[in-house]
Amino acid sequence: MAEIRAGASGIAPRRILILLALAAAVLVAFVAVQNLASNAVYYLTPTEAKEHHVGPGTPVRLGGLVLPGTLQYDAQSRTLVFAIGDGTTNIAVVGNGAPPALLREGAGAVVEGSFAEDGTFRATSVIAKHDERYAPPSPGKTPEHQTSQ
Amino acid sequence: MKMSDERLRREERIRLASDNERLSGLRPWLGIVATALSLLAVWMGLVWAPTDAVQGDVYRVIYVHVPTAWLAYLAFVVVFLASIGWLWSRRPWFDALAVASAEIGVLFTGLFIVAGSIWAKPTWGVWWTWDPRLVTTAVMFVMYVGYLLLRGLSTDFERRATRAAVVGVIAVVDIPIVHLSVLWMNSVHQLPTVARIGAGPALDASMGLTLGVSVLAFTFVYVALLVERIDIERHRQARVLETRR
Repeated sequence: MAEIRAGASGIAPRRILILLALAAAVLVAFVAVQNLASNAVYYLTPTEAKEHHVGPGTPVRLGGLVLPGTLQYDAQSRTLVFAIGDGTTNIAVVGNGAPPALLREGAGAVVEGSFAEDGTFRATSVIAKHDERYAPPSPGKTPEHQTSQ
Repeated sequence: MKMSDERLRREERIRLASDNERLSGLRPWLGIVATALSLLAVWMGLVWAPTDAVQGDVYRVIYVHVPTAWLAYLAFVVVFLASIGWLWSRRPWFDALAVASAEIGVLFTGLFIVAGSIWAKPTWGVWWTWDPRLVTTAVMFVMYVGYLLLRGLSTDFERRATRAAVVGVIAVVDIPIVHLSVLWMNSVHQLPTVARIGAGPALDASMGLTLGVSVLAFTFVYVALLVERIDIERHRQARVLETRR
């Protein structure tokens, strides 16, 4: 191996490539970390939407909790109505079509759509959020969500 | 330079022969253990593990989704280490390891995304959404598909291995970004269940055991596939080195 270890400096030129590649990796990571967290916005909270003055008709995603006592679905007109909140700001949401099976009061949801002139949110898509906890149902209880439905 | 190339080639042929000898006894066992563990994981995941209180039986996708994610991470970290190995030592074995691991990683990233999509539709209500976790995972998939395409651009063995290795070193950056995206950014994707900060795993003990067996089974499948794929690549390398003499 000694004869291909070129250069008097001790580091073969080809090994400098490792350092360059690692340096590039660190740079990419740094730029990604610096920019992703502040620029990649998947959804706004209702309070953020209010602060940013999101105007009527502007496509936006809102994320928050479905407020207890607000979730209503009328199967006849296929109208879904609920309020979404973040503890400070609450926004009334009107959607079309059946809600996802896991959409329930007190749980998280993300709605896609835009504000109407009257300040209600017209959702084109309603996404239910579930948490990272898993546990079997208590004895005697059936799971709330059945896939066969 | 020419003299050392010639010697490297000779050393390589000897290494290839001893590689095959060392692994020939181990390879069938890897396949058998991987198959047995997979069958056990299927039974545990579908029958033995209890149903989930909130999601019902859909949550069982976790026993595929999480192990495939783990394999994607593992495979691409191995690509990173093998790339460093090639750049450092120029031993062709490292390049064989890198391409083998990258191909398996791309396969399991695809399965990871498909399993996630199948889980998302009945729970979130959509097949896909432009959530940070999903986007960074898609980026990971595309980057390593690009890595494999890059390998097809050159027929020169050393040049191809070196170019691929540089990409293999840089692309690994996306793995922590995928994993931490749910912590950094607003996301519809749930937080990690097992690797929680300052808390124990947030799942029932029997579910945790099932997940552990699934992860182990998938890891054995990875190692078994890896060994076979490295072997194919080593034979390819041997042919390339022969024709160049």
